[in-house]
Amino acid sequence: MTLLVQQLVLGLLIGGVYVAVAIGFSLVWGVLNIVNLAHGGLVIIGAYLTWLLFSAFNVDPFLSIPIVAAALFVIGYVVQRLLINRVIRAPIFFTLLLTFGVNLVIINVLLLLFKSDFRSVTPSYSGSGLSLGGVQLPYIRVAGLAVALLLAGAVALFLARSRIGGAIQAVGADRDAAQLVGVDLRHVYALTFGIGAACAGVAGGLISTAQAITPSAGEPYTLQAFVVVILGGLGRVSATVVGGLLFGVVETLAQTMVPGLGAGWANAIAFAILVVVLAVRPRGLMGRPV
Amino acid sequence: MRSTRRECGEPVAEPLLQVRQLTAGFGAGPVLFEVDLDFYAGELVALIGANGAGKSTLLGVLSGLLPASSGSVHFAGRDLTNARPERVVAAGLAHVPQGRRLFAGLSVERNLRLGAYVRRDREIGADLDKVLDYFPALKDKLQRSAGTLSGGEQQMVAIGRGLMARPKLLMIDEPSLGLAPKVVDRVIEVAQTINRDGTSILLVEQDVLVALEAADRGYVLENGRVALSGTATELESNPEIRKAYLGI
Ligand SMILES: Nc1ncnc2c1ncn2[C@@H]1O[C@H](COP(=O)(O)OP(=O)(O)OP(=O)(O)O)[C@@H](O)[C@H]1O
Ligand SMILES: [Mg+2]
Repeated sequence: MTLLVQQLVLGLLIGGVYVAVAIGFSLVWGVLNIVNLAHGGLVIIGAYLTWLLFSAFNVDPFLSIPIVAAALFVIGYVVQRLLINRVIRAPIFFTLLLTFGVNLVIINVLLLLFKSDFRSVTPSYSGSGLSLGGVQLPYIRVAGLAVALLLAGAVALFLARSRIGGAIQAVGADRDAAQLVGVDLRHVYALTFGIGAACAGVAGGLISTAQAITPSAGEPYTLQAFVVVILGGLGRVSATVVGGLLFGVVETLAQTMVPGLGAGWANAIAFAILVVVLAVRPRGLMGRPV
Repeated sequence: MRSTRRECGEPVAEPLLQVRQLTAGFGAGPVLFEVDLDFYAGELVALIGANGAGKSTLLGVLSGLLPASSGSVHFAGRDLTNARPERVVAAGLAHVPQGRRLFAGLSVERNLRLGAYVRRDREIGADLDKVLDYFPALKDKLQRSAGTLSGGEQQMVAIGRGLMARPKLLMIDEPSLGLAPKVVDRVIEVAQTINRDGTSILLVEQDVLVALEAADRGYVLENGRVALSGTATELESNPEIRKAYLGI
């Protein structure tokens, strides 16, 4: 019984990372209609930046989150404005190809800069946690979940309240009508992609505290973000939160209950969830009807 | 300033909107051919024509959604030929598109406020109240998702969203589309009231009778060319129009 509760709790905590990974991916997909294959690459840039700040200047990984997010925002804005905006009206195949290419470039640049050595961010509290009635709560994971939920809340509030948030949603709903009220598409596309990248950066920061990172370590996260969005449903931050947490729980339970399903099976588990959701409820748990 | 003569004979200033030799189209070739159009401040002008005549294409070119291949568009003293849409609406030329095109998942209030996206002044709230005075039916639906409203209410939101830009000229594309006759009358009445309150209106309609009854003047578009233009009364009594559009 305690084991089950422990695994459920651990699943929720790990789910926090998936929430953070999927928020930006979902925003970019929903608004720009781009399935961003460079998302995992952006996540890992965030992880390396966190590692750099930690190893060179001893900055706590949670304190460096705003810096990393700002840096990734700038990268995302520029990539969209200079590169992806050029093919945004083309069929989705072109944006897939382009973001796939961007991902390769990211991985190769990281390889040049950092080699393929494993890097990890290990603040003093990284091994410790607290125990509640026999259930272990690692500090890093608890803080990670808190950051992910704060990020989700901030993005939701920004979309619901701010002027730019309104423009972003307007573009997602109807590009032409958004232009007719005076939204500059090129700018709003770039802002949206920048915000998506900033969220990826936050996720990367969390991931750097939980696992060793290499230039290609972001690869599974693109697939997982995709599955989380399919699972929760496109178009709402709250759906991504539910999808991410559920994904964490399902993955953790699967790994406990089926012996041998270790970390190497992460993609297989994600893929299995994807197939089940698409077969049973294609618009996701909370998605709008298509 | 060059002065022109209007039908009634009094000298008036430069037109608010001046379209010259405008040619535009899609990949397959032009849809509009050398369109000329003059629009004076304060007017309510009808643009009529059959299905596929190019009315919406013309509006799309004027508002910057579609490129012009040649010709020019001048509005309120500015050259807006192939200007970006945000510049056009900021200059005071707003477009209520065919089929309403609301932001479906967003609330009615958000839709209306987005209409004022290019404005930075402090009177946006006051203008929202004005829009609700034109369309009182929207008052208790402000928090509803725009996609859940009836067709008539959606058209009101669409016109209201256009008004929120505080335009000098509002172009409304087929507001009667899919609405019951009673609702159409109501929408046209409000358009006339808005016009009387000082906003110029370009009304695109397939329903020629409805349009000419409301308008001061009209243009008839046929296969992408201006086939006829004149005062509403002239057009209504024109035998060709009566035969082609009114079935009389
Ligand atoms: N996106 C497009 N791509 C290619 N051709 C188009 C496009 N939109 C319209 N057309 C063509 O341009 C012509 C004019 O269409 P437009 O929509 O301007 O007509 P309209 O007068 O507004 O008609 P309606 O009363 O049906 O709205 C038509 O022949 C139409 O098929
Ligand atoms: Mg049309």
